[in-house]
Amino acid sequence: MEAVIEALARKKREILSLWIERTLDSYVAPGFFKTAKDPFANPVGSNITTGLTALFDLLLADAEIQAFAQPLDQVVRIRAVQEFTPAQAVAPFLELKWVVKQVFSGDQGLKPLLAKLDELDCRIDRMALTAFNIYSECREQLYRNRIRELKSGSSILTDAACPSALMRRAQQGESAGLEK
Amino acid sequence: MAVVKVDKLARSVAEGPSLMTGSIPTKNWMDVPAVFKPGNYAYPAKAEVIRYLDSQKGVSFPNAREWNPEDDDWKLPENWKEIILKGLADRLDRFRSLKIFMDCCVRCGACADKCHFFIGTGDPKNMPVLRAELLRSVYRKEFTRAGKILGKMVGAREMTAGVLKEWFMYAYQCTECRRCSVFCPYGIDTAEITMMLRELLHMVGVGINWAMEPVSNSNRTGNHMGLTPQAFKGNVEFLCDDIENLTGVRVNPTFNRKGAEVLFVTPSADVFAEPGIFTCMGYLLLFEAIGLDYTWSTYASEGGNFGLFTSNEMMKKLNGKIYAEAKRLGVRWILGGECGHMWRVLHQYMDTMNGPTDFLEIPRSPITGTVFDNAASTKMVHISEFTADLIKNNKIKLDKSRNAHVVATFHDSCNPSRAMGLLDEPRYVLDNVVDNWFEMPPNTIREQTFCCGSGTALNTDEIMELRMRSGLPRANAVRYVHEKHGVNTLGCVCAIDRATLTTLMNYWVPEVQVAGLSELVGNALVIEGEQRQDLTEGLRTLV
Repeated sequence: MEAVIEALARKKREILSLWIERTLDSYVAPGFFKTAKDPFANPVGSNITTGLTALFDLLLADAEIQAFAQPLDQVVRIRAVQEFTPAQAVAPFLELKWVVKQVFSGDQGLKPLLAKLDELDCRIDRMALTAFNIYSECREQLYRNRIRELKSGSSILTDAACPSALMRRAQQGESAGLEK
Repeated sequence: MAVVKVDKLARSVAEGPSLMTGSIPTKNWMDVPAVFKPGNYAYPAKAEVIRYLDSQKGVSFPNAREWNPEDDDWKLPENWKEIILKGLADRLDRFRSLKIFMDCCVRCGACADKCHFFIGTGDPKNMPVLRAELLRSVYRKEFTRAGKILGKMVGAREMTAGVLKEWFMYAYQCTECRRCSVFCPYGIDTAEITMMLRELLHMVGVGINWAMEPVSNSNRTGNHMGLTPQAFKGNVEFLCDDIENLTGVRVNPTFNRKGAEVLFVTPSADVFAEPGIFTCMGYLLLFEAIGLDYTWSTYASEGGNFGLFTSNEMMKKLNGKIYAEAKRLGVRWILGGECGHMWRVLHQYMDTMNGPTDFLEIPRSPITGTVFDNAASTKMVHISEFTADLIKNNKIKLDKSRNAHVVATFHDSCNPSRAMGLLDEPRYVLDNVVDNWFEMPPNTIREQTFCCGSGTALNTDEIMELRMRSGLPRANAVRYVHEKHGVNTLGCVCAIDRATLTTLMNYWVPEVQVAGLSELVGNALVIEGEQRQDLTEGLRTLV
């Protein structure tokens, strides 16, 4: 594993760049997300870039799984409200396996390491499973938000009938009943 | 990106091909149809609501029916295309601005990445230039010689049912916030293009319920909820009881009182829904503290005007009640509460739509003597201007320590900032009521402020995901000041903001609550004779 870690550290820039590019390619028109650098003008691109970069470092450091939560959240919270299926939303994390293999395959000196990626793959799987947890939490938060809006009265705006119209209808109903 | 298939996933584990295929567009935008699925569209207006509105004087909402955006057949009237093209011709004739906006865009792209919907979704049709192009392409085909002859080569296309569906999709993925127009070198107001699209769609009975039911209720009872005068008055009185419990001050507002000096109009959400009610308690306390001679109206009981998101005629009709009531009650001028789009209507349209107001006086604060010349034509003053003037003239006593629980930032609501230039007054008020507040980054505030993502009647729960992604640019800036400065309160001056930013924060930055500026004023206000409890959370404290 040490040799793998060392190679990953050496190829960090290449791997990250491909990983981020492929993740942003999951959007219909990714050009802006890839190029705009201002984090406030381009929150999708910049949060995904920062998040994936932090995750890569954590993987190299074999950090505790709790440490992954914040950067995973940074990426997943965005993808959980965009037009992705759940699988598509968390696919980028597993994609790192492909990216690493791609980069190692392109370097003669690193090819022998391709057979030794089991532990890295396992760490990536753990990260992806944590991402799935966070995805579910995000979706549950959305449903709680819906319920909170319904309870708070905001929804009375349209989902309740106009009280005065109801009153008038009830009165008309009564008088119609009397006439019969 | 393609859907991940199980067999592919299995193979990927074995052989390691990529799970992601990318989805860089290979088709021209004109060839990508709008696909409606649960969650990406707001529910259509109920037929009974449209029928009722169409029966009303001065407005037209024909072709009421039950229809479903997910169906192929939208049950459009047989001659729908003729209706749309006639409607467009009529509007090009009536509105010179529309004609210019159709002709003068050079597609420079300055607006392209400024829209919060585009920034949050990456959908190219959410670039303001392309959203406008949805209409412009039809305009070219039908109203320009080049378009008639050269067609698609010059970006012209036929009006088809598919185009109409695309209009519905993207006219309701625009909050008319006008951030894009700040960056347009030609000053094209994409909000006005969205307004035209929505008007045209209404001609063939295509609209959304979250806009039309409040419009219908407002037309009937004067406010979005359809509150009767008794219920409206009752709600305000409940708030007075709460104020008395919290501060020991008994506030006794009057309703529909003839001869009052000032008429106060605010969004009805301030009267019935959290967190707006705390803002409302702030107004009530402030007016009590200065002894303002004012009245509420149960007729002009709604500052909001969803007509702005519907049609010119509807906006004018709903707005009419404010001047009518001011005249009936014989007040001198009008004071308006915290609302966003309400102020666009009041500041930019009210005077020409329903003026002139020769029966009112140029607003003059009875407390400070300040004359609000900026409101000389509309005769209506914003509560933040009014409050800032009171503070400047030392007419109210404020104790910032009562907001010790607050570390604030300020969200410029789209309309007050971009449509009326209300930028410094709220900040001045904030300076005087809280010890700690921090600005968000410069490209997310003032004229460049980001929308809450749920304006123009898009604050409905069936499109929650859409609201969250379009609100991301705003939330992202709030998260930054939360992490950097420990900000826990997002101040604003808009009723839709108060409702929708609360939901937005719950998702993106749950540590931050949303408060109207007048709530923070109410928290800090020291009133003679008060017997205030220890209010650790200001007017929100449960006692």
